Amino acid sequence: MLVWAWKSLIAQRGAVLGGALGIAGSFILVVFFHAVFRGESGQIVAYPEHMQPDVWVMQRGVRNMHMATSSVWDWKADKVADIPGVARVTPILYLNSVITAGNQKSFSFIVGLLPDDHRAGPWEMVAGREVSSQGETVIPDVLSNLLDVSIGDRVTIADTSFTIVGLSTGTYSMANSVIFVAFSDLERILSSSGTYSYLLVDAEEGIDPEALAGKIRREVEKVNALPHEEFVENDFAIAMQMGVEIIFMMTVISAILAILIVCFTAYSLVMRKRRELAIAKALGMRGSAVLFGVVFQSCILTLFGFAIAAVFAMIVIPYIPLLLPQLSLTVAVSELLQIGVTALLVAMVGAIIPAYLVLRLDPATAFNV
Amino acid sequence: MAAALLTASKVTKIFGTGHAEVRAVHEVSLEILPAEIVLVMGPSGSGKTTLLSMLGGLLKPSAGSIVLDGIHLTALKESQLPEIRALKIGFVFQAFNLLSALSVEENILFPAQLRAGGIAAARPRAAELIEKLGLAHRRRALPKTLSGGEKQRVAIARALINEPKLILADEPTGNLDSQTGQEVMMILHDVARDQGYSVVLVTHDPRVEDVADRILWLEDGQLRDRKSEQHNWERDPVCGMRVDEWTATEFTDYKDHKYVFCSSRCRERFDKRPEHYLTKREQSADG
Repeated sequence: MLVWAWKSLIAQRGAVLGGALGIAGSFILVVFFHAVFRGESGQIVAYPEHMQPDVWVMQRGVRNMHMATSSVWDWKADKVADIPGVARVTPILYLNSVITAGNQKSFSFIVGLLPDDHRAGPWEMVAGREVSSQGETVIPDVLSNLLDVSIGDRVTIADTSFTIVGLSTGTYSMANSVIFVAFSDLERILSSSGTYSYLLVDAEEGIDPEALAGKIRREVEKVNALPHEEFVENDFAIAMQMGVEIIFMMTVISAILAILIVCFTAYSLVMRKRRELAIAKALGMRGSAVLFGVVFQSCILTLFGFAIAAVFAMIVIPYIPLLLPQLSLTVAVSELLQIGVTALLVAMVGAIIPAYLVLRLDPATAFNV
Repeated sequence: MAAALLTASKVTKIFGTGHAEVRAVHEVSLEILPAEIVLVMGPSGSGKTTLLSMLGGLLKPSAGSIVLDGIHLTALKESQLPEIRALKIGFVFQAFNLLSALSVEENILFPAQLRAGGIAAARPRAAELIEKLGLAHRRRALPKTLSGGEKQRVAIARALINEPKLILADEPTGNLDSQTGQEVMMILHDVARDQGYSVVLVTHDPRVEDVADRILWLEDGQLRDRKSEQHNWERDPVCGMRVDEWTATEFTDYKDHKYVFCSSRCRERFDKRPEHYLTKREQSADG
């Protein structure tokens, strides 16, 4: 039965290829949306990911950076620095705000750096230099292209004018680019004094970050301290949460589209081979065996479509950011596998109507001329 | 007398209900003996194919019973019939009904999936049938590359693969020219005589009568008496073939004379240019 089902598919190459391409199209949409989402989510946590202190210290109740506000008194930074096992404490100020150039705007993370702080600044520069005095800023290279500005041009951040002195790379995200300014400038924008947003704590060699974080929480009042991995996980989870509904809806829409295409293609195959299916039943094939053949064809068709989508994901998607640098795309193999499982479900659901037709097919019609 | 292989008792099939009710077969009773060739003849719409479908377990009768080799087909559940069809009955169709994606050998082996040992066990039998029916050089060919006669030989081999006791053939010569049709009939004849299969043939073709042991005449859904020697032979004016006016389904009236034809193709050709096919003598006689 499977041989016949397989050979019937092969014999209808045109219809099968057309159907598989349609299915692939809908899965490519799913894979693409996941890749954009995954890539963007990764970029949203790019800053904490690259800073990699052993412990992050912040206001009690705060557990991450994305869309969060934290305020820690400067004397608490001194207290943290005095805890045995702490090698270095690097304070930053942090604000979610908008950068404007001409009529164009972009939402950004603004990081305020103390003078001569290279620990918390941009991790890779492609042009110019780091911030060294007030009124200066370093922005992502991709953002400079999008805003059509370059070194020496002026941009506005939170109603304050800054001069671009450098371009960093790896810091752009469609949702939140990372922009660096002087600590005193951000302090003025925030109208704050004597406070930091986060403390990046580097531990002495051999010190367990988790134990150190616990010690900081116990010894410094009203602060939260988390090991780097946990802090980044929290940040990533928040970023995922914010987009998960959109990506879920896009996945559902694309899956429905795939189901419709599978259903239509399988229906066409069944209608085309209706007479032969009746002959098979007349010759003694059980309805369940013929049904299995139809579901098998539907699965092959869908997996073929999924394979095309997977090849697209692995080969084409990595090259898209070369053409569109503002897109951060990441293809996770685990997500591809999840989509593969979804594809099998799609194949089953898509085969329901054709299967119903097959079950109702009267074997006596084999006698019709 | 040998026990009947197939017994149908007062088999009736009604399609539709109320005003739309059609009694396709009405209280038909018959017995088919082992190794017997029985012809079911009758005009179009007389219920021949419906009867054949019921005998083959493809259609449930509205009333009556059918017993095949001791098995009450009419008492079986729908789910039990496929196995009976695969193992006890061989089908030969007018339109050959080969599976287009499978080769000659795969088509022949197709029903073997349900027999003990499956396809692997049936391969020697398939090879034997392929050899016997002269299909050895076409073993791997697809149906679309076969001639009509070859297709029907494949269909016969497929019907015989599981060594069923009963072969049901619906117009097996209907799509074949006269010579190929004759060959196919001789194969079915040999199958019954040499190997002891019972063959039930539904046909319009009066030439097939020569190989039959019995002829059953079905008309308006009922079996009626008709002796096989009762013929009224006429000549098809187009091809010259001898046609029995009793059984002919293609005929036309021209100048107050009824002409009968072996096929619709001949009738259509005649209808276009009747004077072309009538001899001067016939024309003057008609005139």
